[in-house]
Amino acid sequence: MRIRIFHTEGFRIAAIFVAIFAISAAALAIVTLAVVDQELRSQIVQFANADIGSVKDGYRTQGVREASEVVGQRMASPGASDFFLLQRNGSEKLAGNLPPMQALTGVIEFPHPAAAGRAILGVGAFVAPGLYVFAGSDLRATQMARQRILRTLIWIFAGALALALLGGTIVSRTFLRRTDEIVTTCRAIMAGNLASRISVRGTEDELDRLSETINAMLDRIAALMDNLKQITSDIAHDLRTPVTHLRHRLERARDQSSKVEDYDQALEAAIAASDDILALFSALLRIAQIEGGARRANFAPLDLSGLLTRLGDVFGPVAEDARHHLSLAPGDPVTILGDRELLTQAFSNLIENAILHTPAGTIVTVSLAHRNGEAVVTISDDGPGVPPDEHPKLFQRFYRLEASRTRPGYGLGLPLVAAIAELHGASIAIESQPGRGFAISLRFPGNMDGA
Amino acid sequence: MKILLIEDDPETADHICHALRAHGHEVEESRNGPDGLASARGGQHTALIVDRMLPGLDGLNLVRQLRTEGCQTPVLFLTTMSGIDDRVAGLNVGGDDYLTKPFALAELVARINAITRRGESGPPVTLRAGDLEMDLIRRAVHRGDKPIELQPQEFRLLEYMLRNAGRVVTRSMLLENVWDLHFDPRTNIVETHMSRLRGKMDRGYTRELIHTIRGNGYILRAD
Repeated sequence: MRIRIFHTEGFRIAAIFVAIFAISAAALAIVTLAVVDQELRSQIVQFANADIGSVKDGYRTQGVREASEVVGQRMASPGASDFFLLQRNGSEKLAGNLPPMQALTGVIEFPHPAAAGRAILGVGAFVAPGLYVFAGSDLRATQMARQRILRTLIWIFAGALALALLGGTIVSRTFLRRTDEIVTTCRAIMAGNLASRISVRGTEDELDRLSETINAMLDRIAALMDNLKQITSDIAHDLRTPVTHLRHRLERARDQSSKVEDYDQALEAAIAASDDILALFSALLRIAQIEGGARRANFAPLDLSGLLTRLGDVFGPVAEDARHHLSLAPGDPVTILGDRELLTQAFSNLIENAILHTPAGTIVTVSLAHRNGEAVVTISDDGPGVPPDEHPKLFQRFYRLEASRTRPGYGLGLPLVAAIAELHGASIAIESQPGRGFAISLRFPGNMDGA
Repeated sequence: MKILLIEDDPETADHICHALRAHGHEVEESRNGPDGLASARGGQHTALIVDRMLPGLDGLNLVRQLRTEGCQTPVLFLTTMSGIDDRVAGLNVGGDDYLTKPFALAELVARINAITRRGESGPPVTLRAGDLEMDLIRRAVHRGDKPIELQPQEFRLLEYMLRNAGRVVTRSMLLENVWDLHFDPRTNIVETHMSRLRGKMDRGYTRELIHTIRGNGYILRAD
């Protein structure tokens, strides 16, 4: 835990801030010290100049004696320089607290004659030819000021560093705690607890958004998994029957056939049965793929009315041969975005259902209407109808109405239609009562009417 | 006809080879993409049968490559049943037809015959078979001197039969090419329309042009 903290983003950000702060604090220290140093030095020089001015004034009015006295007064005064020297002819000390020295003029700096490591800064000048005066101060004050400033800055820096480390740790710990939670949940899900979800705090921060996104993803995966489980068990249960039949047929052929024709017949039947099983597989896979949403790439604008008219032409004679009547009311052209192949299959499926599951003489109507900006395709018949409690079951895979059990089919037609409708964002509605016909409508939203 | 079969599954390949050879075709085989591409470039084949999933270079890219090199040999794609988008993708790269495994061998042979016909001549204005004549511009059909009135669906069906005259066409070829239906319907669409068409242009004539090939499909024959 302690070591992991150093590897968190929060800690890394804190460290970067500390580094930036350190660099700027160092820059600030250097500038401050330079400015302070400059200021103190110029102050010393100012004092020195003022003192020398006084000495000069004293000498000008009353001569050397007065100049020496001024030096004495100035030495005792607090608002003046610390060190003075008034010397004549290069070596004769008249007044002051410094030993005789080389008569240098202007601003000069030299080591303290008594204390090692200290320095004196001041101004030297000639009051008169041969009469040299120096006034200056110990630089210790500037050194001390410099140290004080430096010390203050170091304390501030240390404090900031400590705060940054503490802040970084707290932020990282919070972050770690929440990411740990996400990791734990994800691990639990990986271990098989698919229902587990990351808790969302409701603070709407990045982590909340991340958690919500992961949860949404998990929901989608769970839905797909359920779907997959459903298909798998469907296949396991419903494919066993046709495969068993095929096996029986082959067994019977082996045991009972004697003539070549018998074998031929049995083989033909076996091939037909395997084709049926393969068709069933294809139908299941097709539904699964459509439900997976993989086909939306093929969407293109298409005219629903034109599509229905074409299907009317194709199925009209078929209905007639089955002694049904197919009536078409294709309405005005409506352009929607969709997959032509899949919609063709869905509508064909519904028309075929209406033809195959109703008695002779039934009228099948295919119509297209516009309602509230929606395009509604309805395939209806005046056949025997389906009781309302059966309606939801019609969309279950392999569900077959009692009455149609004897007809060929696997009960995958309507599930396929439902999958295709969902892919297109269309809702399906069934309206039917026993004895009052059957109507199924697909409602396509947001059509590009008149486009 | 010399056909190149590019298929990695030995059992499927054997199966197809036998059938094609039985129909008198010469078959050359490749078991992977790169070999297949090399063979297709080198040999003068009448048609290629290309599996979509191939080791080394998949079928789609193989055909795309051939087409960019200017090779115009007709291509029939084979695929497993899982890929429902495959047909469009296959035709987009320049494939001529598409067959989903498993398929009846008769279906494969019929489709190979159909795609090799393409490009033999330019689009004709009139299609003829015996004394039957179809004018594609005026959309009129005559048998002998007698005009035959056809519904649009029947016209399209007859046009397809005439374009494939002398060759077997299967139910699924008709469903796909005449009605653009890419699934197996549960009703007798093909039989219904075929019977109506035949009722108008064949029934009552001494020589019938369209014949049913049992369990296989139909053929329009003039002789």
